Amino acid sequence: MSIYNTEVEKAIRAIQEKRAKIVCIQLPDGLKPDAGAIADVIREKTSARVLIWLGSNFGACDIPLGLQRMGVDLLISWGHNRFHKKQEGW
Amino acid sequence: MDVLFLDAPFAGTVELCPETIDYLKRKQYHTVGLYASVQFCNALDRVRTQLKELEIVIVTSQPDRTHASSQLLGCDNDLNSLRLGEEERRAIDCYLYIGDGRFHPLALVYGQKDLSSEEVREVVMNDPVHHSLTILAVYDIVSLLKKYRGALLKFIAADRVGVLVTIKPGQEQFKPGLLLEQKYPLKKFYYFIDNVISFDQLENFPFVNVWVNTACPRVGFDDQEKFVKGVINLYDALNAEKVLEQKSVLNELK
Repeated sequence: MSIYNTEVEKAIRAIQEKRAKIVCIQLPDGLKPDAGAIADVIREKTSARVLIWLGSNFGACDIPLGLQRMGVDLLISWGHNRFHKKQEGW
Repeated sequence: MDVLFLDAPFAGTVELCPETIDYLKRKQYHTVGLYASVQFCNALDRVRTQLKELEIVIVTSQPDRTHASSQLLGCDNDLNSLRLGEEERRAIDCYLYIGDGRFHPLALVYGQKDLSSEEVREVVMNDPVHHSLTILAVYDIVSLLKKYRGALLKFIAADRVGVLVTIKPGQEQFKPGLLLEQKYPLKKFYYFIDNVISFDQLENFPFVNVWVNTACPRVGFDDQEKFVKGVINLYDALNAEKVLEQKSVLNELK
């Protein structure tokens, strides 16, 4: 059981609203042990195929590339909020 | 493809532990710079009340790139990104970070590398998960800063510089990286692109004298040891002479 609220109900709502068929879930290291449980709940409550991102999740700046090619409709990234990139550099 | 971000807020109570309260009292701090990671920054009411009871003034802001007030990102390792006024920054007696782990609060320490030692403030870390207090200060990063300064000196002397550019949209800074060619017309710049920085590939390019990182600026600090030839961040490369000349903890290292 995580000490962080994973808010899976928000993820499920978004999948249903967007009618996503393939979703990718991206978790920071601290939540990766919960990936199986999160994927199970999503599968149970929706008909979406769940792909678990194996790699890093250092921040909202660290979004996986190439997911569209896999037909992913929705990426759900935990542990961060929106990132406002500065075009002129860090 | 749509993206949904979920903060994963801390499920417990966010408050100052007794040890932190005692420490702030003992140090007689009057003003703190309050920041937290996203799991904690939307639940700081109790902390604010506790600080008020201690008659401590709170200074905070919404740093660059963040989406909430008081939120700190790991890439806020430049004090300018906090977007505090000069007066506000000088009024701060210490930074008070709420959260677990060292990654985020270390940004506040790195961010002070260009300040003079009198201006540097310690970072008081209050961890609501483990109910613990930790202090971070410049002495925690001295060896890293020495290497960083060495890499800056190497950059000044270098003929051939490798510029690391990631293709991750959130971190890609190719255009700002091109400014190096304008600023240093006598140096040769080689631009390397990758999804993530593949540290094990660096040695395959022996013609590079030193590396400039344009991706996450924490690479320039936290991953310093993975660069045999040394690495500096783009901002410091573009201002290398100034960074090396000014009165700062970086230049006062013994």
